[in-house]
Amino acid sequence: MQKESAIREPLILGHKTYKDITDDVVGPIMGPASLGWKILITISSIIAIYGIGSILYLISTGVGVWGLNKTVGWAWDITNFVWWVGIGHAGTLISAVLLLFRQKWRMAINRSAEAMTIFAVIMAAVFPGIHMGRIWLAYYVFPLPNQFGSLWVNFNSPLLWDVFAISTYFSVSLVFWYVGLIPDFATIRDRVTKPFAKKMYGIMSFGWSGRAKHWNRFEELSLVLAGIATPLVFSVHSIVSMDFATSVIPGWHTTIFPPYFVSGAVFSGFAMVQTLLLVMRKAYKLEDYIHVKHVEYMNIVIIVTGSIVGVAYLTELFISWYSGVEYESYAFINRFSGPYKAAYWTMMTCNVISPQLFWFKKIRRSLVATFILSIVVNIGMWFERYVIIVTSLHRDYLPSSWGEFIPTATDVGIFIGTLGIFLTLFLAFTRFFPVLALNELKTILKSSGESYKNEQVK
Amino acid sequence: MANTKKYWSGLDELDGTAAFQEIQSKEFQEQIPVDKFLADEKLNSTTTGRRDFLKFMGFSLTAATLAACETPVIKSIPYTNKPAEITPGVANYYASSYYDGLDYANILVKTREGRPIFVKGNAATGLGAGKVNARVIGSVMELYDKARLEGPTKNGEATTWSELDAAVSASMNGNGRAVVLSNTIVSPSTRKAIESLGAEHIQYDAISYSALREAQAASFGVNAVPHYDFSKANVVVSIAADFLNSWLTATQFAPDYASLRNPNSGSQSKHFQFESVMSMTGTNADVRTMISPSEEGKVAAGILSVLKGGTVSNLDAKLSARIKAAANALSGSKGESLLIAGTNDLSTQTIVAAINQLLGNYGTTIDLERPSQAYRGDESAAAQLIADMNSGKVSTLITYGCNPSYDMPNAQAFNSGLAKVSTSVSMNGVADETASRSTFVAPDHHYLESWNDLSLRAGRIDLVQPAIEPLFNTRAAQESFLVWSSAENSDWYTFLRSQYNAAYTLDALYSDSDWNSAIHDGNMAGNDVSESPNYAAPIETSLAERKVSKVTGGDMELVTYVKATAGAGQHAANPFLQETPDPVSKVTWDNYVTMSKSDMVALGLNTYIAQEDLATVVKVTVGDKQIELPAFMQPGQKPGTIGIALGYGRGSKGEKIGQAAYQTGEKGQHLMLDSGLPMPIGVNAFPLTSNSEGNTIYANYDVNVEATDREYPLACTQIHNTYMGRDSVVRETSFDSYLAEADKPKGKASWNMAHALNVHDDTNHDGVIDARDKENTSEFDLWHSHPVKDVGHRWGMTIDLTTCTGCSACVTACSIENNVSVVGKDEVLRHRDMHWIRIDRYYASDFSLEKGEEEGVGVISSYGLMEDPAENPQTVHMPMMCQHCNHAPCETVCPVAATTHSNEGLNQMTYNRCIGTRYCANNCPYKVRRFNWFNYKGNSKFENVNPAHDSLARMVLNPDVTVRARGVMEKCSMCVQRIQSGKLEAKKSGSAINDGEIVTACAEACPSNAIAFGDLNDTGSQVRAISENNRSYHALEEIGVQPNVFYMTKVRNVDSNEA
Repeated sequence: MQKESAIREPLILGHKTYKDITDDVVGPIMGPASLGWKILITISSIIAIYGIGSILYLISTGVGVWGLNKTVGWAWDITNFVWWVGIGHAGTLISAVLLLFRQKWRMAINRSAEAMTIFAVIMAAVFPGIHMGRIWLAYYVFPLPNQFGSLWVNFNSPLLWDVFAISTYFSVSLVFWYVGLIPDFATIRDRVTKPFAKKMYGIMSFGWSGRAKHWNRFEELSLVLAGIATPLVFSVHSIVSMDFATSVIPGWHTTIFPPYFVSGAVFSGFAMVQTLLLVMRKAYKLEDYIHVKHVEYMNIVIIVTGSIVGVAYLTELFISWYSGVEYESYAFINRFSGPYKAAYWTMMTCNVISPQLFWFKKIRRSLVATFILSIVVNIGMWFERYVIIVTSLHRDYLPSSWGEFIPTATDVGIFIGTLGIFLTLFLAFTRFFPVLALNELKTILKSSGESYKNEQVK
Repeated sequence: MANTKKYWSGLDELDGTAAFQEIQSKEFQEQIPVDKFLADEKLNSTTTGRRDFLKFMGFSLTAATLAACETPVIKSIPYTNKPAEITPGVANYYASSYYDGLDYANILVKTREGRPIFVKGNAATGLGAGKVNARVIGSVMELYDKARLEGPTKNGEATTWSELDAAVSASMNGNGRAVVLSNTIVSPSTRKAIESLGAEHIQYDAISYSALREAQAASFGVNAVPHYDFSKANVVVSIAADFLNSWLTATQFAPDYASLRNPNSGSQSKHFQFESVMSMTGTNADVRTMISPSEEGKVAAGILSVLKGGTVSNLDAKLSARIKAAANALSGSKGESLLIAGTNDLSTQTIVAAINQLLGNYGTTIDLERPSQAYRGDESAAAQLIADMNSGKVSTLITYGCNPSYDMPNAQAFNSGLAKVSTSVSMNGVADETASRSTFVAPDHHYLESWNDLSLRAGRIDLVQPAIEPLFNTRAAQESFLVWSSAENSDWYTFLRSQYNAAYTLDALYSDSDWNSAIHDGNMAGNDVSESPNYAAPIETSLAERKVSKVTGGDMELVTYVKATAGAGQHAANPFLQETPDPVSKVTWDNYVTMSKSDMVALGLNTYIAQEDLATVVKVTVGDKQIELPAFMQPGQKPGTIGIALGYGRGSKGEKIGQAAYQTGEKGQHLMLDSGLPMPIGVNAFPLTSNSEGNTIYANYDVNVEATDREYPLACTQIHNTYMGRDSVVRETSFDSYLAEADKPKGKASWNMAHALNVHDDTNHDGVIDARDKENTSEFDLWHSHPVKDVGHRWGMTIDLTTCTGCSACVTACSIENNVSVVGKDEVLRHRDMHWIRIDRYYASDFSLEKGEEEGVGVISSYGLMEDPAENPQTVHMPMMCQHCNHAPCETVCPVAATTHSNEGLNQMTYNRCIGTRYCANNCPYKVRRFNWFNYKGNSKFENVNPAHDSLARMVLNPDVTVRARGVMEKCSMCVQRIQSGKLEAKKSGSAINDGEIVTACAEACPSNAIAFGDLNDTGSQVRAISENNRSYHALEEIGVQPNVFYMTKVRNVDSNEA
């Protein structure tokens, strides 16, 4: 067993035993749903249904129900896509990269972060689908053999790369998440008494018996999947950024985009994890497992990635001036002084200035401040994508085509709707799935549990 | 012999044995074991299982459901006897002519399977090189207007021709006065048909040029509008005459004017324009000066004074200087110049006549010997008629080819008079303002269904021939005249033929070979009677000069003008024309008040118009009339003046003039007035005109404008006015700068430098690598080139910015040729117009980054200031369509390879494959790709505007071009259907494709030949020569997309210091 310094803050507070951990995590699943949960899921499913209705309206009527036009061909659709994909970055980063770096604190948050990733990627995948003029032909983007002879997809197109990147990322994340769930499902299976639930959890746990051989294979598979997932964390958003970086549009055509997008994604992903977990730990009384130390660690990641994003913004501005390209420089001047300057300055404030508050230890360790700032960061990151997409497109090369984008109710409805679907899925997850990786947590109880550490100090 | 044979099935039957009898009586020869089956004990225990039951149920349900579905039946009826000249899939062209009182053109009508689908100029034998304008091209749509009357009506109810004829004849033969009121009839035979009626014939014009004619009559003794020859006019001074768009028969002038504008010939005409509203012609002027309408006469007088050696008085210094410059240019080009004035003021026209006489232009650029037959309307006779009608002196009024209830300045008086006419007959094809107020409507054929002869000038007869059988129970107006005159033979075609061959009989249909060749060409020689004007007669101008000097304007003056798309109101229900943006303002579907920025700011009006930035409605008071219209900021508008287009406000009483003539809302529904009538588009500005000495003046020297608190959306296709100093988009220079470097090779002249990039290589061979080492952008290639250079065909296009006048004929032609969806005002407002070709109109700004640097203004503020056009800006029109890039950014980004490069250099769209990600449109630097946001042909939002919605209007669609589905991207295809058919023709004839055999709709429509199309690989082609000319450049050359479209640097004939 690993030894950990006694003066380092313990990761599991309270004088927990192994049984306590199981009780704390499985208890809420076995008990009746709380009133708060019922209210929340009602609200979120109403929003989700509204969103689904908006999507059906869109598909049945045409993309024209959005506010897009001949100049701005993408706006909220792709903004939402990139935003959701970005949010979907934290989970895999936490479970894969932090696993490889042996960061034990990830164990308290990785399960729900991964769930969030899965749901966020599902939400992200909605947009490239519905933004198509003819979604019923979406299968054209797959390189399927067909009867048309040489008809094939265009491997030059970054959108095609997206298809592969997102689907790979989604499937690997899903497998990784599910593999982690297997021993925990087995634990639940062993405890639940209702026959139906027992059967379901039995199926889902794939016959896990907790033998040493199972554990051995589990560990090995986790490591392999972590190895596969780690490059994906970087590749997905790099490829998403190439949708823009490989184009000719001033403000899109920027080589800095891949690292800038990846750090932005991690930034927003962690912020979303904070938003969700701060509520969840309270609702499910997991304060002992997810406590200030975890929050602080995540805030540190937010400072680092937020600062990278800030540097990227400034670099873009510098390069637009330094390059001497009039279109490029105008694109950036237009960003901060043109019709969409409000979006630009919202982005700057939320993404560059607000995370710097985390340099103050008091703020960094304040749960309330963290909650507020995590939402601010995600607002900022939404605006970042909006600024990149809309302000670059609305004034590009020919001033004759300069236009504007004004969102419609359907634009808003679908975005809000995806928030609703996402929350519904997440709430269902907290109700039926073990929200903490309880078997993994048990491995650090003796090295980082509060009571054991106290003993050491004695 | 009766057939008594009988056949037997066998011997048994022949013998009639008992056994046979028994078998015969049974249905089945052998006993069927029914009892055995029923007696089976197991039978009771067999069951129909649940699964079987469900299967049967399911099958029955499915079968019933399928049987209930109706398979749509599409009826297509083949020819029983195929006409020899019609081959399905092959177009036929018929020469014809167009005249509607405003426009005159020789045309070719393209028909497919017997229906006209396109109108183009008759380049072979047409007047003015057979050029047409947007209104003429769009006129084909009106053939298929659902609002057309399907037969004669009486008081709005359908009637029969015989009833109508009886009633009209009876009324004509009665005691009262019978009058035929028409627009100017230029058809000799029609005139005769009207004469045969024996009624009084009064002509009036919606746009009157009576003063011009009177001035010629007074000065030279010929009461006619002269013919102007712009092809000889090296200096043109126009005082508010929009001669490229609407002044007289403008279709004849534009090509002549353009022929002297191309600087490659080493010379370029000089064009001065003095005007209040920024007209299309004004945007093309070398020197444009803003004046008030009340100053028009003074400018003419000033020029006369300078030409006589005097000075200009009473005008401000800048204007005086411009007048002197114009006068000096005129006197330097005597006999090869033109001074024209758009006003209908007799004094001004007298002075103008005197100036042209002084310059010796009569007999050279101005011809009164064979004057124009158009615009012979008699305003005083029309005014007298209205008075007589009101006093009940007119019992029969036949209106033909005109809409006086709408377009007379005193239409109200006309209408009240019309109500007192006992038998009023309108011959208009739709129940418009006049027709719906007349007792009878005897609908005339559409011109594409008619025979006619037209003579614009003596010596030539242009023929109108039908391109389709009349769609409805209409009758040629001339035939109606003949019927009502009780002529012996009332057949109009026979009457027409016998005008040219007295011996003609109906049986001799094909006997007259001269006639047939004339019909083939669309024209023939006519009686060449020339007038004998006295060009040398002295003209007394002192009275006129005194009169014009006394004209004073109020604080605000009004000019009414004719738009390139709306005409005088004839085309109000034409969706293609309504959606074609105004060449200057780029506003579609609307009427508005043009105002200068300073006036708008003073009144606190919104100057920036966009989707959610609405225009402020202003109240314009003219005498006792008040109208409300949105105000539009028009650079170049003289402060203190406003402009309102004529031709709007049609159908203000809910007349059924066509569903596209009314305003549509967000869901495409017709907007309704409080009165329950559909809301017309704009207001009628004819009543706002004024009158001087009996002549209608299309201006008013004293009006009042107030702001209201209402706002109104204006759908503008271009909301940004300047090109922000981006000289790789637009290149322009002055004529003297051009001449100074006219011999330099391409890419070297200072006004069209090739774009070079710094390279890390010693390209200038000076031994060091430094900032002076540059290489042209064209040398850089990220991609492998498409193998189209010098291999096979490489279709390309060249566009001369110098000669492009912005007239938008190409836009209308392209839309009709390529079935471009009409989307209506609300969608245009959302920046979703679908035009494959657009004309970018840029105004010059007073500000630039360099100026900002000099004045110490920051870059950011400079960019802000550069967005504002100058008060009286120079203008560039830049037609923009798919550039067919050889390194097309759209092609690389399509995930499904729906847009690809053809081996002939075309960037082509495969609609079937497109899934509509719009990535290509985003990545298009020229923003020429158009997305099908909705199912335009099926979505109810478009039913009032899109021709694909009703079965009649749908006939105008070009069967060679797919009507695009919802969700796919589309764009200019360089009329690939025409390229293909051209290639097929060449293949059939076994010859190479000659330059000019294949031409796109836009190039064909261009009245000034600014657009050329051809094969860039053909070394002898026009486009190849132009592409190698030193004025040619690629728009946005530095991004390296290598377009197949070349632009030519705009050259203005201005001194480089005034450029």
